[in-house]
Formats: sequence, structure tokens, C-alpha cells
Amino acid sequence: MHKPTGIPDKKGFAPPVRRLLWPSIIFVALITQIPFLVTIYYSLHDWNLMRPDKGITFSGIRNYSKILSDAAFYEVLGNTFLLTGGALIVCLVVGLVFSLLMNRDFFGKGIVRTMLVSPFFIMPAVAGIVWKTMLLNPSFGLTAYFASLFHFPLIDWLASYPLMTIVLMVAWQWIPFFMLILLAGLQSVPDDVMEAAHLDGANALQRFQHVILPHLLKYIEVAVLLGLIFIMQTFGEIYVTTAGGPGYASTNLPYFVYRVGFQGWDVGGASAVGVIIVLMTIVLMTALFKFLRKTFQGELT
Amino acid sequence: MTLLTYVMAVVYFYPVLWMLMTGFKSEGDAVKMPPSLLFSPTMENYRLIWDSGVAAFFGNSVIVTLTSTLFALLLGVPAAYGLAMFKLKRSEDVLFWFMSTKFLPVAGIIIPLYMLLKEIRLLDNLWALFFLYTAMNVPLVVWMMRSFFKEVPLEVMESARVDGASDTRTFFQITLPLVRPGLISTALLSFIFAWNEFFLAVSLTATNAATMPVHMASFMTQQGLFWAKMSSVASIAVVPALLLGWFTQKQLVRGMTMGAVKG
Repeated sequence: MHKPTGIPDKKGFAPPVRRLLWPSIIFVALITQIPFLVTIYYSLHDWNLMRPDKGITFSGIRNYSKILSDAAFYEVLGNTFLLTGGALIVCLVVGLVFSLLMNRDFFGKGIVRTMLVSPFFIMPAVAGIVWKTMLLNPSFGLTAYFASLFHFPLIDWLASYPLMTIVLMVAWQWIPFFMLILLAGLQSVPDDVMEAAHLDGANALQRFQHVILPHLLKYIEVAVLLGLIFIMQTFGEIYVTTAGGPGYASTNLPYFVYRVGFQGWDVGGASAVGVIIVLMTIVLMTALFKFLRKTFQGELT
Repeated sequence: MTLLTYVMAVVYFYPVLWMLMTGFKSEGDAVKMPPSLLFSPTMENYRLIWDSGVAAFFGNSVIVTLTSTLFALLLGVPAAYGLAMFKLKRSEDVLFWFMSTKFLPVAGIIIPLYMLLKEIRLLDNLWALFFLYTAMNVPLVVWMMRSFFKEVPLEVMESARVDGASDTRTFFQITLPLVRPGLISTALLSFIFAWNEFFLAVSLTATNAATMPVHMASFMTQQGLFWAKMSSVASIAVVPALLLGWFTQKQLVRGMTMGAVKG
């Protein structure tokens, strides 16, 4: 921490910045950062709670080499990629449509907006359960009802297409986030630019393509990068719907840690997966921060 | 266009609406297809499930969410004030450090947390969740409140100082009242995130300290076929966050983007 150079105080003592900052920094570091160092330590050890007889032995990078040579890990990695990427695409497309629809004046706008943001506030555990039991239940659910109504073949969505179904579920929850960010972007398009484009004879599509979209790009990037980091951590929806199955078909990285750690009680292995996830996130965050610092420099100084 | 918007909104919102309504149906009405809008509402499910122990888990959620939100504000607001009002050479680094802790996946620290809590006998204890949720929300508070503090015009504070008010008095009597709307939406968002948190809760609690989402998950495995009862538990779990979310939806973007997008 450097010497603060704040608003000059007329009594002449330095503003109490340190006292204001340190408590929160220490508290957050203690709880969120120190445990990660322990995760690294554990990941270098052979330690299974189901085998107390074997004790804890240093094993170097053996946990990592075991995971990296495990086919399940690559399936999980692929799932994480598909789930996150798929949900992001759906969120972006539907979010953009919603935000364009909401960027107008019409009767009942407030209520419609409230309805559209609601899924974001539904806890993942409940969202997953409602989808699983009431919408998608293969015998009693709403989709089964529509299938029988139109004589479509009956599909057990979560059993046949677990990952795709979870993608839709997660997208349902995150679309509001995209909609709101993109709406903020749409509303900040300068009026005079729009007017100028109008006067130049640009039609609605041209205005969207040449004026709105370039302006929106910054907001799209914020939404995608933040969505990426948060959706990568999806856990509750998987826990209550498929429990990662069948096999590993719908297990993503966070759920993999849960399975290895709290079902296999492999402390070392689960820690190693945890370290791998954090490393991947750090790579993503570096890109994110570079971008955020660039975009919001004015906001940050 | 407007009609299309209405239709989309209703379809999109339908799962929530259906769940909220099913909680008031009898089990017989609940499974009728197509779901009926007209039914004789009953409080029976709520009475049954409340008596069967939901009250305790609801209580856990309320306690841990309220206390952790309060402490996140107590820790985060001073830091946000410091970062907004005083020029520090490394304030940007501090801010991004806070942000990075919010982005780091919980999966990266869950194993040591479990082992530590087991060691100090705080597994399945509300204290554990209280500390974790507080730490989870401090970065959110710092970023959001900083952006609100920055909107307070400096002249207001300087004139107070010229009038002879101390820094502390200026803060409590001038600055804090000015950012009160921001403070409230920050508190609401912290509340919502803690209320809905699942990974930590399901990994670190069992029968004693389980919160609503954890109870919800185990309730479903036992009684998933009783839609009406399940929906009433789900409604109790969802409604607090949903209502507060409705109040604070305008500030959601600012909270989620750490103040980067104003919304």
C-alpha cells in the first residue's frame, strides 16, 4: 500500500485509507485465497478419506497425471465447454431479441420487464427441480402432455439429451442478465447519431448493423465474458436434475470436483481438479481484465 | 410487435407462474393436464410442509443471509468509501483483486474448506456459511458502493468540511444519506446471492444448518411426485429472493458487472 495522496485534510493528518481498506482485504484474503494454497498442497498428496489406513503421502504430480490420462476428465472438459458455450449462444441470441423488444415504449412494459428478469432470481436448485419434475417429466410433465397432444414421440429429455437440456435450463436463468446488459447498451446509443443515420436514409436494418451493433459490441463483450465465468461454475441445476449422469454425460468441472471429493472422498484428486479449474479461470480472467481495464479506464481512474 | 412481446414474456415466465400457483392447489388438481388456471386455492400444502420442518431451514436461510449481508456491508462500505474518495496509487489493483476473488470458482477451495471445518467441528454449522457468504459478498459491496460513492459530488463534502464537520460526521450525515438508495440495492443483491447459494451450502451442511436450497434438493428426492407440496416448498424458497429481485432489478446490471455497466 502506498502513501495516500487524497483530499488535503485541513487538520493535516492523512486520510484513514488503510484503516478503511485492510479489514475487508484481510477478511476476504483469509477466506478465499489461503484455502486455495491449501488446495495446491493437497493436490500434491495421495489422500483418500475412504482409506484412512493409507494415510497421507506426498505424491508429487501423480494426481495430475492420473486426471490428465483419465478419459472421464476429457469428457467433463468437453461438457463444460459445450454447456458454457451453448448457454452463452442461446443467452446472447434470446437476450438480444428480448432487449430489442424491451427497448420500445408499450403498455405494461414494467410488468413484462419484471416477468422477463424473474428467472434470474430463482435459485438454481429450484429452477432445476421445477424443470425436471413439472416441465420435463416423461410421463406427467408439460412436454409429455404436448407430445401426446400432437402425437409426437415421447422423449425423456434429461435422460436422452442431458447436456442439451441443462444448457436450456441454464440459459433460461441467464437470459435476463444478457437482456439487461444489452438493454443498457441500446439505451445508451446517442440520439444524435441515430438521427444522423436516419437523415442519411439508412433503413432500420442498416441502422442496426452500422450504428447500434458497433456501439453494442462493448456491452456484448461484457455480457459474454462475465457470463462465461459465471456459467462455467454451473452446479445446482446439475445436482438436482441428472447428478452428472448418465455416466459423466452431464458432469461439468465443478460437479466433477464434487463427485471426486464428496462421493469418492479422494482429497488429493479433487484438489488437483480444483487447481486445474482455477488455472483455466485465471487464463479467462486475464483476458477479461485486459478488456475491462481497457474499456472502463475512464470509470476506473 | 407488442403482442409478440406479451406472448414471449408469458411463455418465458410460465414455469415460475405455474410453480407459484401449484403450491396452492390440491395434489389432485396439481397434476391435471393442461394445468388449470381456475382451481379452488388451498393453504393445506403450506400448513403441512411448514409443520414438517421447513420452518427450521427457512430460519437458517434467513439468519445466515441477513447476518452475512450485514457484515459484508460493514466490511465493504468503508473500503468502498476509501477507494472512491481517496487517490491511492494502487487502488485499481485493489479493486481488480477484489473482483478476481469473486470470479474464482468455489470448486477451487471447497476441499480445504471442508477439511478445515471438519477439523474445527464447524461442519453443518451456520457460522461456517456466515463467514463464507460474508467473504463472497464483500467484493460485490466494494465494487457497487464505490461506484455509488463516486457519484456523490465532491463539493457537497467539501462544503461540509468547510463548515467544520469532521470526516466521520461528514460521512454519516452527508455522504451516507446521499448513497442510501445505492446502499439498499447493494444490500438486496447481497441478500439474493447469499439466499440462492447452493454449492457451499450443499457441500458443507447436512441436517442442522441446511438452508432452503439444500432442503429443496433433498425434499425433491423424497417427495418429487407430490407436485403441490413440492411447489409450496419451492415457493417459500424462491419468493424472498424473487420479491427483492423485483425491487432491485434496475440495479442488477450494476451489481453483476461490478459497477462497470450502469444499467
